[in-house]
Amino acid sequence: MKEVYNPPTLATKALGMSYGPRRVIHGLDVELPTGKVTAIVGPNGCGKSTLLAGLARLHKPDDGTVLLDGADIQNLPSRKLATQLALLPQEAVAPEGLTVTELIRFGRQPHQGWLRQWSAEDQRVVQHALGAAGLKNLAERPIDALSGGQRQRAWIAMTIAQQTPLLLLDEPTSALDLGHQIEVFELVRHLACDHGRTVVMVLHDLASACRYADHIIAMCDGQIVDQGAPEDVVTPALVRKLYQVECTLLTDPDTGSPLLANVRRAAPEPA
Amino acid sequence: MLKQDNASLAPKKAMFNGAMPAASPLRAPDGYWRLGDRDGTGLSLLIEKRSVGVNMLLAVALLLASVAYLSLGTTALDPRAVIQALAGQGDMMTVFMVQELRLPRLVAGCLTGGAFALAGILMQTLARNRLATPGIIGIDNGATAFAVASVVGMGVSLAPSAMALTGAVTAAVLTFGLATGSGTQGYRFIIAGIGVGAVFGAVTQLMLARVGIDTANAAYPWTVGSLNARSGGSVQLLGIGLAVGFVLAFGLARSLTILRFSEATARGLGVSVNARRFQILMLSVVLTALAVAVAGPVGMVGLIGPEIARALSTPRHVPVLAATLSGALVMVLADLLGRTMMAPIELPVGIITAIVGGPWLLWILMRPQRSRP
Repeated sequence: MKEVYNPPTLATKALGMSYGPRRVIHGLDVELPTGKVTAIVGPNGCGKSTLLAGLARLHKPDDGTVLLDGADIQNLPSRKLATQLALLPQEAVAPEGLTVTELIRFGRQPHQGWLRQWSAEDQRVVQHALGAAGLKNLAERPIDALSGGQRQRAWIAMTIAQQTPLLLLDEPTSALDLGHQIEVFELVRHLACDHGRTVVMVLHDLASACRYADHIIAMCDGQIVDQGAPEDVVTPALVRKLYQVECTLLTDPDTGSPLLANVRRAAPEPA
Repeated sequence: MLKQDNASLAPKKAMFNGAMPAASPLRAPDGYWRLGDRDGTGLSLLIEKRSVGVNMLLAVALLLASVAYLSLGTTALDPRAVIQALAGQGDMMTVFMVQELRLPRLVAGCLTGGAFALAGILMQTLARNRLATPGIIGIDNGATAFAVASVVGMGVSLAPSAMALTGAVTAAVLTFGLATGSGTQGYRFIIAGIGVGAVFGAVTQLMLARVGIDTANAAYPWTVGSLNARSGGSVQLLGIGLAVGFVLAFGLARSLTILRFSEATARGLGVSVNARRFQILMLSVVLTALAVAVAGPVGMVGLIGPEIARALSTPRHVPVLAATLSGALVMVLADLLGRTMMAPIELPVGIITAIVGGPWLLWILMRPQRSRP
């Protein structure tokens, strides 16, 4: 038996958000394709993490709305939202000494109550999350004793145990080496492809976004430059606009996704 | 090209087993007992084995300390005679000494110690910092300044409890107001609290310097923390407050456990972070104020109690009950020491806890890598 989700739609309408006095994003209209992996990319400070924070209701928007199945998420009770949408923040920290299974059990929180602390369903889902994230052999290991990639998979396993059709990840691979990055990305693809989850992740690295995302949202200065399938969206012009670099674009002969080659600093624009 | 069809991504399936396991008989997670129906769909409570053991240990220790507390003093009594005296038997003098002199003070010690430690662990969890106890962030001093104002008669005369509460709330509002933007996280909030505490401490000293020596003497226990000058009403109020506060803290236990994670994680798990934080803060401030109204600012119990509780407990929970019991235990032992160490001279309990707590605080500061509760 395999669990397959039929996720609700997640979209923003004219979304504007600030951090203190600084306006970070404005007038964003985004629709996230259901059951697919979406990557939000862009240079530092372009507002991609802010957009994710808005989607996860971590911060209140100044104007505009975030719509979950057409309803404003501001009106949803916290616990209800947590059964629809799971979030893995950047650099998540766990209380010291927790084991992998103990961490994953916290994912059941929105499904539990003070008088219903542990059910057969909880037990089954935690076992599932351990298997889904490839952590069966590390179940009793303390989180502090894991490698970076394993730790990140343990956190993702916690969100799996939350059993939400939507999963938001903020730079899930930023502190990981290449091998550990691939571990995490393949798990993310597994969650979307095999279970039909909608996954949205903020990524620093455009190359990984091309390789692992079905849909790319490219942002610059708090606005959306382009969105769509990587092979349609990623062009030398876009790369120049986002990162001020020139590149040659190739097609990966094995996967068909765009490949960035010969990346170099762009010549200053003529005055 | 659809990435789902992508051959190069196929091997992952061996590693990530996406199949939902078949339903298996429900077992409690390792380290727990479970109370409830067969599949846990109705009532299903988890009881951590370790915390049962820890709490029983602390309760027994508190009981033994209490017997010692009632027995020892300027006149040492036989523990058996003490237990008889508690039941009202034995000679009149012993019964009087136990029931009228030592027992009320023991009760006040247990209640204040428990309240300070419970307030401490609540605030530490709220701020995700072991240094952030009400004593350190100035709430004790705020409560004290207002209570002293009522004792030395600065025009306002309300019951010490009400004054202490006003002072505690004022200090909390100032601390959180001055640390705006950084919320309850980080050192900015603690530094603001230390500043607020220093100001209120100075105000207390100023008030004592301006009144006659007799009034100043009457207010002296307030400045160091002592179980010697308590008023009956405030002890009863603290008893009710601690009972209610403990039940509320127990109700908040699940949220407390999750608030140890980052704010974003807690929100992601469906905790209404702002509402819970406000409740925890209020509870901590009220408990502190009620305890200060009885014993003054007994430093460090709010730090040591939770510290002992965490050292004994697993990291799965915030040990609310263990912290309360540890706080009571620390307070009883410290006051016992203060009463007997230099008898017949009595050292205020606040001095003993400061002597023990100071080095403890330094030790925490020396190990910055473990600053999270």
